[in-house]
Amino acid sequence: MDKPDKSTTDQVSTYCYQCVAGPDLLQVDIEDGVATQVRPNFSAAEIHPAGGRVCVKAYGLIQKTYNPNRILTPMKRTNPKKGRDQDPGFVAITWDEALDAIAQKLNKARADGLNDKSGFPRVAASFGGGGTPTSYMGTFPAFLAAWGPVDMSFGSGQGVKCYHSEHLYGELWHRAFIVSPDTPLAELIISFGTNTEASSGVCGIKRHADARGRGVKRIQIEPHLSVTGACSAEWVPIRPKTDAAFLFAMINVVLHEADRSRLDIPFLKERTSSPYLIAPNGFYLREKTSGKPLIWDLKAGKAVPFDTVDADPALEGEFKVSGSETGADDVTWDHKKIDCRPAFSHLVEHVRGFTAEWAAKVCDVSADTVRSVANQYLDHAHIGETIDIEGMTLPFRPVAISLGKTVNNGWGGYECCWGRTLLACLVGALEVPGGTLGTTVRLNRPAGDRWKSVKKGPDGFMDYPMNPTAKGEWISKPTTRHAHRTLVPLAANSPWSQALGPTHLAWMQQQQGFEKLPEPTAPDVWFVYRTNPAISFWDTKAVTGVMAKFPFTVCFAYTHDETNHTADILLPECTDLEGLQLIRIGGSKYIEQFWDHQGFALRDPASKPRGETRDFTWISTELARRTDLLEKYNAAINRGAAGVGLKGKNFDFSLDEGSAHGVEDIWNAICRAASAEVSDGAESQGLDYFRKHGFRVRKYSRQRWYLYPEMVAQGLRFELPYQERLYRIGQELGARLHEHGITWWDRQLKEYETMPNWQDLPGLWERALSERFKVDIDDYPFWLLTARSMQYSWGGNAGLQMIHEVASNIAGHGGIIMNPAAAGRLGLSEGDKVEVSSPSGKTRGAVVLRHGIRPDTLLMIGQFGHWATPFAKDLDVPNMNELTPMMLELTDATGSGADVVKVAVKRIGAVT
Amino acid sequence: MTRWAIVADLNRCVGCQTCTSACKHANATGPGVQWRKVLDFEAGEFPDVTRAFLPVGCMHCDEPPCLDVCPSTATGKRDDGIVTIDYDLCIGCAYCAVACPYQARTRVDSPNAAYGGKPMRHEAVREQWDRHGVSQKCTFCIDRIDEGRAKGLIPGVDHEATPACVNSCIAGALHFGDTDDTDSEVSRLLAQNKHFRMHEDLGTGPGIHYLWEPGAEDAAAVETAPMVADPVGLAAVSPKLQTNWDWRAAANFIAGGTGTGLFAAAALAGIFAEPLLIAALVAMALVATGLFCVWLEIGRPFRFINVYFHSRRSWMTREAFAALPFFALGAASLFIASPVVWIAAAVCGLVFLYCQGRILRAAKGIPAWREPGIVAVIVSTGLCEGMGLFAVLAVISGIDLALSQTVTPLLLALLGWRYFTWRQYREALGRRGAPTSTFKALESGFINLSPPVQLITAAFVALSLVVPMLLVIGGLLAVLTGWGFKYTLITRAAFTQGYEISRMPARGAGKSAPGIKPGWMVR
Repeated sequence: MDKPDKSTTDQVSTYCYQCVAGPDLLQVDIEDGVATQVRPNFSAAEIHPAGGRVCVKAYGLIQKTYNPNRILTPMKRTNPKKGRDQDPGFVAITWDEALDAIAQKLNKARADGLNDKSGFPRVAASFGGGGTPTSYMGTFPAFLAAWGPVDMSFGSGQGVKCYHSEHLYGELWHRAFIVSPDTPLAELIISFGTNTEASSGVCGIKRHADARGRGVKRIQIEPHLSVTGACSAEWVPIRPKTDAAFLFAMINVVLHEADRSRLDIPFLKERTSSPYLIAPNGFYLREKTSGKPLIWDLKAGKAVPFDTVDADPALEGEFKVSGSETGADDVTWDHKKIDCRPAFSHLVEHVRGFTAEWAAKVCDVSADTVRSVANQYLDHAHIGETIDIEGMTLPFRPVAISLGKTVNNGWGGYECCWGRTLLACLVGALEVPGGTLGTTVRLNRPAGDRWKSVKKGPDGFMDYPMNPTAKGEWISKPTTRHAHRTLVPLAANSPWSQALGPTHLAWMQQQQGFEKLPEPTAPDVWFVYRTNPAISFWDTKAVTGVMAKFPFTVCFAYTHDETNHTADILLPECTDLEGLQLIRIGGSKYIEQFWDHQGFALRDPASKPRGETRDFTWISTELARRTDLLEKYNAAINRGAAGVGLKGKNFDFSLDEGSAHGVEDIWNAICRAASAEVSDGAESQGLDYFRKHGFRVRKYSRQRWYLYPEMVAQGLRFELPYQERLYRIGQELGARLHEHGITWWDRQLKEYETMPNWQDLPGLWERALSERFKVDIDDYPFWLLTARSMQYSWGGNAGLQMIHEVASNIAGHGGIIMNPAAAGRLGLSEGDKVEVSSPSGKTRGAVVLRHGIRPDTLLMIGQFGHWATPFAKDLDVPNMNELTPMMLELTDATGSGADVVKVAVKRIGAVT
Repeated sequence: MTRWAIVADLNRCVGCQTCTSACKHANATGPGVQWRKVLDFEAGEFPDVTRAFLPVGCMHCDEPPCLDVCPSTATGKRDDGIVTIDYDLCIGCAYCAVACPYQARTRVDSPNAAYGGKPMRHEAVREQWDRHGVSQKCTFCIDRIDEGRAKGLIPGVDHEATPACVNSCIAGALHFGDTDDTDSEVSRLLAQNKHFRMHEDLGTGPGIHYLWEPGAEDAAAVETAPMVADPVGLAAVSPKLQTNWDWRAAANFIAGGTGTGLFAAAALAGIFAEPLLIAALVAMALVATGLFCVWLEIGRPFRFINVYFHSRRSWMTREAFAALPFFALGAASLFIASPVVWIAAAVCGLVFLYCQGRILRAAKGIPAWREPGIVAVIVSTGLCEGMGLFAVLAVISGIDLALSQTVTPLLLALLGWRYFTWRQYREALGRRGAPTSTFKALESGFINLSPPVQLITAAFVALSLVVPMLLVIGGLLAVLTGWGFKYTLITRAAFTQGYEISRMPARGAGKSAPGIKPGWMVR
């Protein structure tokens, strides 16, 4: 008989925030001082959207802790030569030696000036996982804050592996750094490649499963049948990178085939720029005196400012009006009795040619399918209906459109984001129950509260902290190596902005420099934590080559990997189950993490630190002490750099700024402040309370899931469909760049349109690759794509045996997924070893045949191709990143590119 | 009564493998061992393709094939439907593993070490030594159920009393409860949804139910999943060659069959002539060698005694019991020249041989074995091999030619019977369907029971009427072709049942679609 497990001695509560869809709350069994088992935290069942359950990745944490391949002592490089072909010759050193060596470099950098001769910060840092490393780095953010300027432009996947266009345009249009369907209420979800079941975490998966349980219809439009496609009611195998055409055609069907009564006319009139009259030069026609955009009031029969009370704005028609028009750099035109049409009329005309039949040819999808999807969208929109949300009556529009990574990254991302958000506006489904929502803000402030981030801006829209483009204000001398503030106005200037810039430009700049920008310089000190850009970025060979030239690299190292192969110092930190930290949970965060509660959760060590590993907070404090930054460091903690301000309205648990504090003392103070914050000062329990309970929350109103109430309260409009502001900014940016002699960004300037036009996106890729590498693109007949894996995404867990084992149950892990008919034409069979080559690189792997993929498409799941990471390096799994070049031609105006490249396949061996 | 069962809602399952991982944690299973896992199915051809995920594990069957075959009392079944394994009694013969049509059982012989070398700290702390060398599988987290119930908790409702996989399921796809309780959630789900169970046609009454579409409908109404002989991308769910029984098990069927057949032939001859002691010796040596080989294969070899002291009516147990009088009487027959003793020993040998046939037939997890006609094939080929070997020994020993002339027609008759049983078996297997790879294996090679080979064998035997020495060749061919067939049957044609999905589930507002039985065909 199975024997009862009697040896369980203890259990601690902690969290897993390995991926952006976290955090998950969990409990860990401890036996004889050893963490042995991960369990759901059912004590959080009432407050956690997924009932306290835990993602598969969290179950890898036990093995992660006791992995024999871990680095357990600080190490230093003994081979001064760096590169993939060089043995680093790491040898163990003491913490004192390691920290002194780092402090010496930092102190010299400070003495030399925080910025170098090119104006770039001497210290750089790269963190992976969409910001999740902050949930593991203790008080390191306070150290960075104390330090001063830090260049975070060396990306590890940002702009390439994220939802980049959505981040930027989403924040502009509806404070949506992340966009999500209101899954708990949606009836129809049209997903363009959103891999929900692989990347939306436990909350997303639970919500979508619940939605399917109540009969939601999700249509997955994607070149391959992903796990998300598998879980959808319908799969539409669209040609890669043609999603924008499908969306444009949906808009065409809605505007040219459906009756106007199918639209949410009041929403369009009151909550969008649809009625704004457009002047001849493409800018709004404005009232001359106030400068306010004009609308045509059907009641009064004349043009009035957009905010005129009781006006009935015309959406369509042509009207004779007078006013002024303001273009770029404040150029103005006066107009008298000219014919003007509202933005909506322009929109109708703009999409006239994007018929379902046109899209059918572009997308390789039938016109009936396009039409059917558009009409279903209208059918499920529930125009005119309302719903009660905690006592507030709100519009009920249970239709949503979501966009996947490669859909909203790179060229075409803008078009797709615009099309998606516009479709939501047409039926009034933006930021209302059931519709398309933003879940978090990162570029606007405050980052923790979407409602508070809604601030009145110009022309009746929300304000947006654009990087300046006006003459005299434009930042001609970049502050970071990827020049995000110089090139990308939308990237703004929040702590997150660097990550939202064109991060591959930082790597490219190190290789080639950019004309008229400062001379490229390597950072004096480069910190790396929880990221492996030598695997996770594009053109991994080039990236590896660049980092090998950095003079001093400090990696917080778990195991040996491809990035820390070039490190000078390796610091072994207490990993997930060994370190202590408190983080914020709930409210409205990434992906589908919008909760009915918000508060804090503790990462309570479940295992004693192995070897000489140290808590990240201890490391941070030591670095601060050795660089004479202790006061600033403590002050930063007191301000809230570690997640919670220690001084509030009714409480003050501030640390003495003059001394070094112990790890538990710091987190005890933070826990006390958290208790006070969550209870409005009524409670002040510290670490012991959180150790006992694991988390502490308070109610978060569901009304705050929706931006609509705040927009109404402030009388604001969503800035759609017409992009007058971006159009102006684009012209200004172009003027500044040209004044500065920069013409290499001209292609990107074309994205600043009033409304996006279709561009042949597949052709754009083909031409760019063909011209750059001087190849006949017909020799590369397949589109190569990638997809996230539930078991691996963001986890940095390719070296974990258990994760590999369970992931292997899902087809395609470890190979190249290919359509059998396409394989047959090449004489390929299941398991055959093939070489996949793009114009810029080659990789190898085994063929995995599946019917659920287009014959012109190949798929490589996840990011592998390891050559240094123990265990992972023996998996012999291909990585698309080796085949994707970093190219300015394939960089869009937001600075992102897409995971798509054309490839050829060649058999190199039979099944082994 | 109580009948614990799992209901898996395929509309909800996303294939995340969280249950797989939670099970590994809860039960401290070793690397590569998955008591619970989720399969990835695909059906149809581009662009009309559907994909679904199917959680599998021990089905805790109403009629568990593993229980029927267990030679000791290690495998048990409780009144509440849970199929158990007593690790202290299990001898590790892996018969249950080949009998399970759900591939739910595993045997692990070495300590857990996911990275090889020394076990990690958590592996060392949780090493389950009692599971070494014995069969293991999902227990439905029996301890949680029992301890939970002792506290007044309800399995499937209270987490503390619910299997870890169900607790962990992030999609809410897995449900646990008592299907005999009409008020339970699992009963409600079954009443409100169309559902199927895997391999329903095998009559095992599995305890995992799969919901595939809303709406009430009798499970029996589910259509049979279409077989797809050569599916692509479905290797993980298609039948696989079993690895539990290797050449050592094959040796038992080979040597046991020939040995008992030889003894029977010798006993028969002994009625009419001087007993051929060498034949008896060789026969017993063969049977003993076969049993020694299979003993080498079991995980806990010194527990073989449990077959006798904790016996159940498994055909393996019966084989073991038949071996005792066979050896005793066989040994006696060397010293007592009594045809009665010889015949008695031979009868025991024939019982042993029959048991071997029934052992294979009871192995429901292997389509090539469980086909009813396999019993006659095993018996007929055993006798054929025995008679063939006897003929060889007789000729070599210079036995009277008249006896040889008697052996020849007998051997011809046996060859004819063997061919008949083989054809019956093969045709029935073809009609019923089997893994594509099984057919390929059975049809490959030269040393088998196929018509040309048997014709050649029979020709040599028949020609021995003219040229007596050809009986040696004919006899050897009778032996070798039987051995070849059995070696193929045990080690090369023994593909598992594999998995199938009766219906691809409706997802949300979508429609369900035909399922798939990959890697199967009729032939």
